[in-house]
Amino acid sequence: MSSRRSLAVRMSVGLLLAMLLVLVGGFPGNLGADPPQPEKPKGGQCVRPAEWMRHNHMDFLKHNRTVAVREGKRVRSESLQKCAECHTSRERFCDRCHDYVAVEPDCFDCHIYPK
Amino acid sequence: MTMDRRSVLGLGGVLAAGVILAPGLRLIAAPEDVTEASDKRRWGMLIDTTQCNPACTACTQACRTENNVPLTGDPERDIHWIRKVELHSKDGGKPDRSLPVLCNHCEHPPCVHVCPTQASFIRKDGIVLVDMHRCIGCRYCMIACPYKARSLVYSTPSIPGTPNRKVPMRAKGVVEKCTFCVHRIDDGGQPACVEACQKEAKGGMLFGDLNDPQSEISQRLRQVLSTTIRPDLGLKPRVHYQGI
Repeated sequence: MSSRRSLAVRMSVGLLLAMLLVLVGGFPGNLGADPPQPEKPKGGQCVRPAEWMRHNHMDFLKHNRTVAVREGKRVRSESLQKCAECHTSRERFCDRCHDYVAVEPDCFDCHIYPK
Repeated sequence: MTMDRRSVLGLGGVLAAGVILAPGLRLIAAPEDVTEASDKRRWGMLIDTTQCNPACTACTQACRTENNVPLTGDPERDIHWIRKVELHSKDGGKPDRSLPVLCNHCEHPPCVHVCPTQASFIRKDGIVLVDMHRCIGCRYCMIACPYKARSLVYSTPSIPGTPNRKVPMRAKGVVEKCTFCVHRIDDGGQPACVEACQKEAKGGMLFGDLNDPQSEISQRLRQVLSTTIRPDLGLKPRVHYQGI
């Protein structure tokens, strides 16, 4: 009886130790990852303040696309073609953050990023 | 050196013209920053089938390059925004007429009426479009369209080697069709097929504003005998044909 109990205790202690190892070994690696820095744009001023864009670019782009497609209103200075003049690389600008925060916008399944 | 009155005036004029022109010197005017589709316009097309050579594919080729519509190699699933159709006489004789068929941009488009997500819609200027962001690929519109103008994207399309970056590709599972080259119209241009027909063929395609009585297309429509395909359906197509 006592040997069985001691086996159970030993097993649970071992399990706890294993979990601790995973926690200790796994966590610092994750904590060490800094947020990615997207590439600095080439041009001067963005169409909106950078801070505002950081929070609202998704709604901004979505709004512009709806207006462009359905109402035929084209604001050329704020088109996706224009974005690419300063943000020259989609991989180094858009994707860096999107990968980090694990969002997958499907814009570029169809839109070919301008060169 | 002395100058007479006329040459001094002339020189002054040239200088003044230079000052006025120089800052904005551009031979082709760039489109304004903001343009919007206007409900005062109704875009339409007139196709003179007597000028259409059965062997010519200028319009269809131009469309494929402009709008990134590559052939898939599977004829049953190939996407056509514009296609050449041959007309046979009713007694089964040789085809005697060839003409391009594209989206007719109807005034009463059945595709728009059946669309469950309002992805198909009529723009203010009468162009019938598919909003790819909303299309769920149910294909009701394909069944509704009497002109077979629409195609489903069956598989992820391969991007052509030198794509036209102004026209997005379409994802697998949406329905696509002719847009009258809406991106060109908004920049003040003509559809690619019309341009190709005028440059490479006999220029049997004419595009313009049907609402403007002075436009070339309106004038031609008043002068020549023209019809639309299946006018009996009452859809009021905006692609008119001459010579059928």
